[in-house]
Amino acid sequence: MSSATTDRQSSGLGFVGQRVKRVEDERFLVGEGKFIADLNHEGMLHAAFARSPFAHAKINSIDVAAASRLPGVVKVFTGAELNAVTNPFIPFFTVGGLYTPLYSCMSDDRVRHIGDPVALVVAESRYIAEDALELIEVDYEDLEAIGSIDAALKPGRTQLWEKADGNVLGEFTDTFGDVDEAFNQADRVITKTFDCPRQSNQPMETRGIAVVVDPTTGHLDIHSTSQAPHFKKWAIAAMLVKDSTAASLAKFARNSERRSAFLAAAKDFVAANKEKMAQQDNSGMVSQLKKDPSTMLHQLRMGAGLLAADDYPTVMAADIGGAFGSKGPVAREDVAVAAAASELGRSVQWIEDRVENLLDGGQAREERFTMSVAVDNDGMLKGLRVDAVLDQGAYTGFPVAPALIALLWKVYFPGPYNLDAFEITSKIVTTNKGRVVPYRGPWANETWARERMLDLVAAELGLTPVEIRSRNVMREGVSMPDAFITGPTIDETMSVAKTFDRALEMIDFDQLKRDKADAEGRGHRLGLGIASYHEAAPGPPNFFSSVQPGTDLFVYEDGRAEIGTDGTIRMFTSQSPHGQSHQTTYKQVAADEFGVKMEDVEIVWGDTDRTQFSFLGTGGSRGGPMGGGVMRMTARELRQQVEKVAADMLEASVDDIDIIDGNIHVAGVPSRGISYADVAGKVAADRNITDEPAFMEAMKYEGVGNGGWSVATHVAWVDIDLETGEVEIPRYLVVEDCGPIINPGVVDGQVRGGVAQGIGAVFYERTHYDDNANLMSTTYMDYLVPTAMEIPNIEIEHMETLTEGENDARGTGEGGMIGAPAALTNAVSDALGVQVTEQYLPPYRLLELAGVIEPEK
Amino acid sequence: MSQPSVSAAPGETIAVNLQVNGTSHSLEVDPRRSLADVIREDVGLTGTHLGCEHGVCGACTVLADGEPSRACLMLAVQADGVEITTIEGLATDAGMHPVQQAMHDAMSFQCAFCSPGFLMSTVALLRDNPEPTEAEIREELSGNLCRCTGYQSIVDGVETAVQLMGGKSS
Ligand code: FES
Ligand code: FES
Repeated sequence: MSSATTDRQSSGLGFVGQRVKRVEDERFLVGEGKFIADLNHEGMLHAAFARSPFAHAKINSIDVAAASRLPGVVKVFTGAELNAVTNPFIPFFTVGGLYTPLYSCMSDDRVRHIGDPVALVVAESRYIAEDALELIEVDYEDLEAIGSIDAALKPGRTQLWEKADGNVLGEFTDTFGDVDEAFNQADRVITKTFDCPRQSNQPMETRGIAVVVDPTTGHLDIHSTSQAPHFKKWAIAAMLVKDSTAASLAKFARNSERRSAFLAAAKDFVAANKEKMAQQDNSGMVSQLKKDPSTMLHQLRMGAGLLAADDYPTVMAADIGGAFGSKGPVAREDVAVAAAASELGRSVQWIEDRVENLLDGGQAREERFTMSVAVDNDGMLKGLRVDAVLDQGAYTGFPVAPALIALLWKVYFPGPYNLDAFEITSKIVTTNKGRVVPYRGPWANETWARERMLDLVAAELGLTPVEIRSRNVMREGVSMPDAFITGPTIDETMSVAKTFDRALEMIDFDQLKRDKADAEGRGHRLGLGIASYHEAAPGPPNFFSSVQPGTDLFVYEDGRAEIGTDGTIRMFTSQSPHGQSHQTTYKQVAADEFGVKMEDVEIVWGDTDRTQFSFLGTGGSRGGPMGGGVMRMTARELRQQVEKVAADMLEASVDDIDIIDGNIHVAGVPSRGISYADVAGKVAADRNITDEPAFMEAMKYEGVGNGGWSVATHVAWVDIDLETGEVEIPRYLVVEDCGPIINPGVVDGQVRGGVAQGIGAVFYERTHYDDNANLMSTTYMDYLVPTAMEIPNIEIEHMETLTEGENDARGTGEGGMIGAPAALTNAVSDALGVQVTEQYLPPYRLLELAGVIEPEK
Repeated sequence: MSQPSVSAAPGETIAVNLQVNGTSHSLEVDPRRSLADVIREDVGLTGTHLGCEHGVCGACTVLADGEPSRACLMLAVQADGVEITTIEGLATDAGMHPVQQAMHDAMSFQCAFCSPGFLMSTVALLRDNPEPTEAEIREELSGNLCRCTGYQSIVDGVETAVQLMGGKSS
């Protein structure tokens, strides 16, 4: 129950650490949230996409004449028309050995998945736009479709992309330690393949974009459900560049003011980042250009166009109804709608419907891992080899997935266990399916495969899952190295062993035996599964350079604090909240620093004109550690500036100044205090300013220290009814350590929500394509998001290990989903006495595994 | 091969009288428009959300003559003369409805996109069954999807509402 929740009003005792109720609720719970579909702009036109009903086909012709004539239709754009005025998606993040096919915002000569957009209707209402879709005639010529990883790996099948080698887009290997030696020395080698089918993020709000065109200047205000508004701004700006490279460069050269500003900024940037830039790994661009040299021409044209442009779009994200990674990428629809609005000179919005969201709103995790473990008979792990395959679908997600996912596997796969050597080969394949996006812990299947494999190895050696983990887990002061074999450095925050030990204390193994016997008596099977993991949230300073040298260029966090001349405190974050309660938690942090009430602090987010650049926006479990960190540091800095002025005003020493509930006073004499407004007013009068802040501090925050690990051990109990295949989860325990907690209500919510998605992934949800890449799960009748009946109460034990440095809060957004599939499939294996090698276990599959029904061939 | 072509429906409208949160709205609506769209666009109350538009997620739940109903599946013309209550109709000048207050106290929601549906379903649930068990709460709310919370905090919120509304604590 919620009795511990607080309405705490005073800053004197500190808000951080308290279960402070959410300020977001004040608008949400009364129906006053402002989600993308609620914005109600004057004169807005509505867009709808005509989408391919074929998985793979040539487009012979498209006829939009009848649709264009429908009253209320403003314009029907064919794919070719929009592609002619936009630049293609080019790889932003790549890796040596990978080729990323370029693609445009629409498809014009060929479709590559069900739902591929071929035309865009812009009309006075969404109803009319959808009517017009029915009038568009497309002549498709069916092609063989690639519907599975197996089909994609087979040579000689129809290729999705002409320049690729078959349907494999790339393969890359990383080796750490002497793998041959480890495998030769070990007592035995155990090999197994694990398969995870496709899932989908499925936030309750779909995607949407509303492009408001200024009729006089042509400036675009883009309202978007975006986790990363700044990246979207620059991506759309680049893709809308129309001038040739030469024309843009000539224009840039003529604009001396812009030119010198750019050159100065570039010089500063290079000076500040020389070392990181020198480390940058360009092998990915080399392999890309070998396959498709035109990549460079597009890059130059967009780059030059950005230099020459007089104006860039503003991107704004208001309230967002969940995302889980799916609203981080820039999607084809974003570019198509922006281009349509800009071509028409009129405002246009597109609100995705649920069917579209299931078709291409973001899919994830269709991956296969063949793992070989070199192990001694006593259970000591020696070496690990992984062959991984990721099915990216037809069009490569932009900007980062799926190459980044594979690179994260490289860093994470060995987990919190000691190994002498590790090698991973990852292949990225393309199939006629929807787009892969990051999904809450995008790399999470390394935890699933590893933790499943550990149980399997234990069984083969006659050990228990507890024994094999106990023997190999890194233990502080005993077997904790300074760094993982894959590179990232470790400190006391990598406290997986602590969570594992605590979890064991919280399991009653005798009771488990009795419960198992009891379940058998009822015709059920009960089992227990354990899984541990660590997560860089935000990770040590060398984390991203371990993923790919040079990528740490993008991972700092900007933030700004201002005090207006009237004393109003405003905190500007580059995060883009979509359920994580940033507003509440940042108010807690800032109010404590300033010594004011939470209501005295305003949090500003989501508007690229007001906030600083952020590549990632909200993602990577960074809202607490990085976003919260820069809020704390900028607030602290400003408070010091305020105290200096206040000390003068109060004729006291700075060291004696105290601030409680906004009353700035000499310690011990609160009755003679002054306010932030008094101090700001004084500064404003002295400096004669009215419309700029009295105080301002902007910072680039790089996190603290060597640690930054969030860690956890999950334990699942599952009870399977052998008659129906139905699963119950009588208990689910998470022992987690994300450092000192800012708001327990928020953190618990994040953990539970993640676990719920893990439960969904294992027992209910599947983005189901048949062998011909027909999508079978296009509504919520087929894609089963679990309900309150399927998700149990989740028990959470917090450890809160502290480390050196300020703002030691560590990330917690993704962890729940990382641990759950592993713990659950381990529990199923224990219950049924079989070693499960797949992640999706609906009732029929459980009954097959239990031997109750015959497996389908 | 080519796709079939369908001709558009003619654009005639029908007069309806919608009673939304106690206010009467006389509107001319296209007969095919959903109640949800008309509430959101014509009445201008955007607190009712559309998560799936095919009757599964429950985000669009409103009370129609007191009964929880999916406004995405109802046509506005079917609601002629029906008393509709939306999330905007719960709070009064005296403050939040106890169910809203309870969901706030329990920190029930995250993105809160699902919240209108849960709030309306809960109001109806507690009217019909003022002291539900946890199992009853979970069963009754199983027609509403939430992707963020794992439901526990929402169930807590309902239990808190039971207390606030004078039922026994569970
Ligand atoms: S929008 Fe009505 S049930 Fe989903
Ligand atoms: S709180 Fe986000 S869907 Fe329920």
